[in-house]
Amino acid sequence: MSSYIEVENLSFSRGYRKIFNGLSLSIPRGKVTAIMGPSGIGKTTLLKLIGGQLRPEGGRVLVDGQDFQTLGRDELFKARAKMGMLFQSGALFSDLTVYENVAFPLRAHTKLPEDMIRDIVIMKLNAVGLRGARDMKPSELSGGMTRRVALARSIVLDPALIMYDEPFAGQDPIAMGVLVQLIRLLNDTLGLTSVLVSHDIAESLSICDHAIVIADGRVIGAGSPEELRRSDSALVKQFVNGLPDGPVPFHFPARDYKDDLLGVDDSDLLGLGGGRG
Amino acid sequence: MVESIQKLGRTGIEFISALGRSGVFLLRAIMGLSFTRKGVGLLVKQFYQVGVLSLIIIIVSGMFIGMVLGLQGYSILVDYGSEQAVGQMVALTLVRELGPVVTALLFAGRAGSALTAEIGLMKATEQLSSLEMMGVDPMRHIIAPRFWAGFMSLPILAAIFSAVGIFGGMLVSVDWLGVYDGAFWSNMQSAVEFDADVVNGMIKAVVFGLVVTWIAVFQGYDLIPTSEGISNATTKTVVYSSLAILGLDFLLTAVMFGGL
Ligand SMILES: Nc1ncnc2c1ncn2[C@@H]1O[C@H](COP(=O)(O)OP(=O)(O)OP(=O)(O)O)[C@@H](O)[C@H]1O
Ligand SMILES: [Mg+2]
Repeated sequence: MSSYIEVENLSFSRGYRKIFNGLSLSIPRGKVTAIMGPSGIGKTTLLKLIGGQLRPEGGRVLVDGQDFQTLGRDELFKARAKMGMLFQSGALFSDLTVYENVAFPLRAHTKLPEDMIRDIVIMKLNAVGLRGARDMKPSELSGGMTRRVALARSIVLDPALIMYDEPFAGQDPIAMGVLVQLIRLLNDTLGLTSVLVSHDIAESLSICDHAIVIADGRVIGAGSPEELRRSDSALVKQFVNGLPDGPVPFHFPARDYKDDLLGVDDSDLLGLGGGRG
Repeated sequence: MVESIQKLGRTGIEFISALGRSGVFLLRAIMGLSFTRKGVGLLVKQFYQVGVLSLIIIIVSGMFIGMVLGLQGYSILVDYGSEQAVGQMVALTLVRELGPVVTALLFAGRAGSALTAEIGLMKATEQLSSLEMMGVDPMRHIIAPRFWAGFMSLPILAAIFSAVGIFGGMLVSVDWLGVYDGAFWSNMQSAVEFDADVVNGMIKAVVFGLVVTWIAVFQGYDLIPTSEGISNATTKTVVYSSLAILGLDFLLTAVMFGGL
């Protein structure tokens, strides 16, 4: 199994908080890989590190054998044209219509004639079920529609790699079903590599070929969905079954709950108590 | 005590680092201009947004300021019987000082704050990130056209401001207060020198244009992407720009007219 993305010993922090400390994982080529983990664990951050938007503090990230940190600005932008990313918020351009949003990457990177651009845009919008919304402005769309337009935009250049950040959030069951099929279909027909980040465990496990579970800045389980479901690691079990209690903490690191409620002075605890709770 | 020294140090370091970032940013904004068809299209669009849409406020303010100058000038000069000199007074005040300075102040409030808020909102809603991920450099696509459009609009707006102001001054002093119009114009023509007054005024406008647009665009690009961050940065744009305009105006005036 050849890997498309190789993350080696990656470390990264935000402020004083270490988000990744020696994270290593690999993402197979041509498959749908789901990266799952509790909220705030750094999934979006990981995608930005893969896309070269953030610079790792240690270790490296190879995408198709290429380390983006060694590229110049222009080369980096050229390399990125081969990847699509669906942002958690959609990130549509608010001054452009839906049609122009989807056409944007085509206009930026190709010299296709206008009627060809039109055909491609209409096809991609049709695939996400929003052909009829082409003249709307992003401010007129619902959250779920925004994300589907963003999806159409991120696949319009037929990239070799596509990263989805929470594609299922805010989708009704029908749209969800269509999206799941679409992600699968895109992956299989275009032969691209898909990375999907989500805490929607059931949906993710149902479409992915390979799943990686992250918690505490490291990989706690990886394998096929079947392997994960059968894993005997307590961490993975808790996550796959969605149990609130277990080794994966539900709480953001904080001091002791009782002390917090009783209002025990912060400064006494900061030195010793930071990790409790 | 130690804490306040620490805080001073931290503020100092942050200031220096922002200065460094903004310097690199300025270079990249200047270099980011492209003359492809797309690049020119973006520039023209921003010229409209930043320059043309500022025209109304510039024309109205220029008119009023010119009229006030005409009135004040007349009431001072008439005591010495030299009210014909009102034309030269209005023109010199506008061309040397008020044209560039007031235009730049208005521009900072009208266009500068809008630039900061627009870019800041694009950052907060990840539009800048998504451009980057699409392989489109936001420096080229978003920042450079706005920077250049703002920087080049200001001198033109300042010239329009001065022209309208002179017209307003003439309306008041000639048409209303009865100054002889031949004297009004000929005094103005003989007093205003092209290289000393007009060129120096234009240099001021160019410098203010650079500084105001630089501050506005950088504040938008560098802000903390929250609603609070956007409102802070917009305020900072107006405050920093105004202070920079007034401070620089003193410096430039001292160099140009003060014999420094
Ligand atoms: N711009 C930023 N500045 C400082 N800290 C940040 C920034 N962005 C994210 N963080 C921190 O980094 C951590 C990881 O954020 P990230 O957005 O990657 O989480 P996530 O796993 O995608 O969460 P979610 O599932 O809720 O989207 C969070 O705890 C957050 O506090
Ligand atoms: Mg996220």
